[in-house]
Amino acid sequence: MSNLTQPALDEARIDRPGRASNILAVVRLHLVNRYSVFAVPWMIMAGIFVVNVAIWWIIFASVSNEADRMDARDGLEYSGALFYIFVYMLVLGIQSVAYTFPFALGFSVTRRDFWLGSALTFIALSAFFSACLTVLASIEVATHGWGLGGTMFASFYFGGADASWIERFGLYFASYLFFYFVGATIATIYQRWRNNGMLVVFGTLGLVMIAGIALVSFTNSWPSVGAWFDSNGPSGVIAWSLVPTVIAAITGYFILRRATPKN
Amino acid sequence: MSAVVEVSHLTRRFGDTTAVDDVSFSVQKNTIHGLLGRNGAGKTTLMQLLTGQDFATRGEIRIFGEHPVENSGVLKNVCFIKESQRYPDDFKPRHVFTSAPWFFPNWDADLADRLIADFRLPLNRRIKKLSRGQLSAIGVIVGLASRAPLTFFDEPYLGLDAVARQTFYDRLLEDFGEHPRTVILSTHLIDEVSNLLEHVLVIDEGKLLIDQDAETLRGSATTVVGTRQGVDSFVVGREVLHREGIGGLASVTVGRLTPQDRARATEMGLELSPVSLQQLVVRLTGSSRTSSSQTVLEQSA
Repeated sequence: MSNLTQPALDEARIDRPGRASNILAVVRLHLVNRYSVFAVPWMIMAGIFVVNVAIWWIIFASVSNEADRMDARDGLEYSGALFYIFVYMLVLGIQSVAYTFPFALGFSVTRRDFWLGSALTFIALSAFFSACLTVLASIEVATHGWGLGGTMFASFYFGGADASWIERFGLYFASYLFFYFVGATIATIYQRWRNNGMLVVFGTLGLVMIAGIALVSFTNSWPSVGAWFDSNGPSGVIAWSLVPTVIAAITGYFILRRATPKN
Repeated sequence: MSAVVEVSHLTRRFGDTTAVDDVSFSVQKNTIHGLLGRNGAGKTTLMQLLTGQDFATRGEIRIFGEHPVENSGVLKNVCFIKESQRYPDDFKPRHVFTSAPWFFPNWDADLADRLIADFRLPLNRRIKKLSRGQLSAIGVIVGLASRAPLTFFDEPYLGLDAVARQTFYDRLLEDFGEHPRTVILSTHLIDEVSNLLEHVLVIDEGKLLIDQDAETLRGSATTVVGTRQGVDSFVVGREVLHREGIGGLASVTVGRLTPQDRARATEMGLELSPVSLQQLVVRLTGSSRTSSSQTVLEQSA
């Protein structure tokens, strides 16, 4: 390497990888620790699944009347078991900014490349995990709830048993994106404004929610709020989550642009 | 043209504290600079400003002739190792060394392997579980193996033992010889690195006190030792940097002496000894008389 015999930057510019490769390097950085990105979510998922199967089996074994079993199956449709997986993704989103951002900046990454690389990672991971969940949901439906009439993947919130695979995939995908980006953006507020930022944001959020509740209550609009949720259904609500997801992705970028990592 | 770093009237304020106060200097290519100063003097903030991690309140920074902030072309050529570097949760050292080449185009994997062996760094232990010294070793290895044209080390060896520190100095000089680059090193262990440094920047309370060639600086102050009367009559009319005494003996540090001064001191039976870089920095930044100390050095320069 004969670099540095000439003006440093000119020389380095020749073998400087392009912007795309900077962004790709950030993606690889997010995925370099495969254990916490891939293994842990599947371990959580497997744990939840085993517990659920045990519960289904208990119900199945203790309820012999076919009508009662039907009843139980209807109830299982509302399984929230997948929620934990999404919470873990929220945590990964937070950690990607709380830990990986200061590290990446130490590796001379620009904030812009970091955020674009992170967004690309979130999208890729969301697509991957959604595809896996879609396959599992199809198996669940095909085996009539793993032979026990249980529901975990094809739950009511993700379109129920009758949804098409593409609809399910879309709903999982939107949910993953929401938790990744919201987690990451919350963490950008901390990176930029530390504790004061968190206090202000959550304080403001609380006030806005109280104001919203007051507004709805005083105008007697609760029925129309209920009607909105009713007409959209869980799937519609998840689809609407793309709006806050996109807002989070954009504000996160601008917040991070002026953030300095500190301890 | 060969200035790698150019800073003019740089100021950084946090609320009512001024971490960096109207600082101007430049750093020549392929030199090893020492950035010295007490805790909280503004060293880390200055380095964060130079590497685009922090934002200037006022003033100009040029790294390789360009603004460093969000400039990936400049930053690709910069490596900033800081004592307080955070690592992603559950990272192991091997994750750091696997990913480093993706970010530093000049990364030398062989050198990294050698340094890992030198520092006896366990690659498969979680970083959270490493000792303070092992944590520092990661930074030192990245800083050396990245071979960035401009490398910053901010207190790189907290917790490293004497052997490991010597390894760091040796490897730095060795690699610097083969692959010249610009190094800016901030440290408290001034005497240990004083032979390494070609140029010294001393910062105190955000202000740049000294920006000088290390060689010149070493001769810029002298300690005069002898009887109280002898010393007193010798230093009359001179700016005194430091004074201490026991009984009838006195030891006084003064600015640069001319050969005539030295001859006269010898005639008077006084002993002259050079002041180490560390002592000099201690004397310059230890008291609140920094303004008078500064004038001495300016006169002596």
